[in-house]
Amino acid sequence: MSTTMQAVPRPRGAAGTLVRAVLILLRARAIVVLVALLVLFSSLAPEFLTANNLSILTKHVAITALLAIGMTFVILTGGIDLSVGSIAGLGGMVAGYLLTQGISLGGTIVYPPVAIVIVIAICVCMFVGVLNGWLVAKAGVAPFIATLGTLYIARGAALLISNGKTFPGLGGEASRGNTGFPAFGQSFILHIPSPVWMMAVLFVIAWVVAIKTPFGRHIYAVGGNDRAARLAGIRVPAVKIATYVISAFTAALVGLIIASQLEAAHPATGETFELNAIAAVVLGGTSLMGGRGSVTGSLIGAFVIGILTDGLVMLGVSEFWQMVIKGLVIVLAVGMDQAQIRLQAKLLPYLQAGR
Amino acid sequence: MVRSCAAKVTLAALALIYCVGCHRGERNEKLVFIVVPSEDNPFFKTEADAAAARAVALGYRVRVEAHDDDAYRQDNLVDAAIASNAAVLILDNAGADASIATVRRATKAGIAVFLIDREIEAQGIAKAQIISDNDQGARLVATEFAHALGEKGDYAELLGRESDTNAQVRTKGFHAVLDKLQGLKLVAAQSANWSQSEAFQKTETILQAHGEIAGIIAGNDTMALGAAAAVKSAGLTNIRIVGFDGSPDALDAIRAGTIQATALQPAVFISKLAIEEADEFLKTGSTGRPENQVIACDLVTRANVDDYRNFEKVR
Repeated sequence: MSTTMQAVPRPRGAAGTLVRAVLILLRARAIVVLVALLVLFSSLAPEFLTANNLSILTKHVAITALLAIGMTFVILTGGIDLSVGSIAGLGGMVAGYLLTQGISLGGTIVYPPVAIVIVIAICVCMFVGVLNGWLVAKAGVAPFIATLGTLYIARGAALLISNGKTFPGLGGEASRGNTGFPAFGQSFILHIPSPVWMMAVLFVIAWVVAIKTPFGRHIYAVGGNDRAARLAGIRVPAVKIATYVISAFTAALVGLIIASQLEAAHPATGETFELNAIAAVVLGGTSLMGGRGSVTGSLIGAFVIGILTDGLVMLGVSEFWQMVIKGLVIVLAVGMDQAQIRLQAKLLPYLQAGR
Repeated sequence: MVRSCAAKVTLAALALIYCVGCHRGERNEKLVFIVVPSEDNPFFKTEADAAAARAVALGYRVRVEAHDDDAYRQDNLVDAAIASNAAVLILDNAGADASIATVRRATKAGIAVFLIDREIEAQGIAKAQIISDNDQGARLVATEFAHALGEKGDYAELLGRESDTNAQVRTKGFHAVLDKLQGLKLVAAQSANWSQSEAFQKTETILQAHGEIAGIIAGNDTMALGAAAAVKSAGLTNIRIVGFDGSPDALDAIRAGTIQATALQPAVFISKLAIEEADEFLKTGSTGRPENQVIACDLVTRANVDDYRNFEKVR
């Protein structure tokens, strides 16, 4: 890359460099915003840059990031998943029910061990994901409507499980052999909270899937041009269903983490989480039209939102201003996205001449 | 090139953060972290403001946050309190069961937790749980309700959110008084989730089915105000309504005669008490009081409405 830079004639080169610098800043805007926020908060709040707080901060970010990673795949296919918050709530409630009420088998109540509880909760959530995918890919319901429907269905189901009440005491009982659930979201591995590990592992897998596998390329192809992808022999419905199932899986993890951290399952858990996840994805530069974007961007977007939320709390900014600021950041980020596209289009001939 | 540039920017920023971070003196005042359910509800706003004012007067730094009745958001706010090295947490919690683990974590992190307004289903974790006497207040207001109806007629009840302990305690208190009176008959009982708009809709529906009711007893003032609005829009005038909380809007409505009575929760007193006990605890290592403290409510009617303002007895 540096050799092409040297080959550019000097006056044009200087202007070209400026243009390129602006474009780079626009492209890397999520990182620029992230760094600016880090500098701002650590200079204003003395406690912000302590190991303790950074550990807490990443733990909070992990919740949004997990959802955003799943959401990225859905949005890349041109869809949207509004049901993730409800699915998270449902996952927590299923786990809460199994841990505190058990399963009635032929008159006796069996308490499944924690690992089984987690697997069942995830399976129930992934079933909702299959339903989402089926509605969108097979029944032809618009993604916004289909997942709005399952948003209500899953939330209603979560409320029905306990009749609106909270399942407390998810620590389990030794006599039932189902202790250990709190460790799922509360434990530390190498001084790093377990949700952060889940985020890291899931991110690496998602990144590899998106970049290196045929499935990943199919997702981009479906989002870029549904019809062309179909004609190219890609099994479009299967790809779409898979993305909703992935999204539901990440939502299940989030629901279980929260239930585990609170040691209680509340049916209203996860309300408006879908909006945070969508905001993170959009901040990361993924287009809501599909076909363009990256998992990395979504992770950075989740960090921006998480740092913004926690930093403003630490500064003692009023809750109402927090909402205004969060909204401004989202709008500005997407505005810059559009600016970048226009600028790139306008400068395209110039940049090509520069090369 | 994008990557290398970004990396340079990041490095420069980290260096800057490091410089800023290491030249910082510790502030002397201890931090009091106050978390209430919302800041757009007059009761919780008053409760938070009263605690904050008392804490500042005693020389503390103060942060006020709201958890919006979301146990997970409350958990995150408590994390922020831990990270900020708060000395005291004044908490109006987001659920008797769902808050236990959160309060335990704060206590483990060395924060003295004082619960106000709502209890949790666990003892020995918080330094104090100071609440208003919902049962006594409910009986007070129910007695006044029965009196206003002349102890006869049909009535409807609007209940609070069913998962909320206070909703259950209040309805129990109401019925401990009302069920003994033969002349009174409950014809409809609906939850309106503490909400004014929901109470308005539910009352409109109830009035369709039971136009002859003589009174409506509501689990809080916002629902009582919603009911009063529905009664007014139905063109009815002879329905007696009582609420609970003693909010400024309800006091105005009592003055105007649209609501008959309410039980005023001494929110300002409780907040001040919590801060004073926290101060005592930080200085001596003990609050000198039992963990569970119950403060009596006051009955407010048209006769004494001018004695009260903003959850506080002023005369």
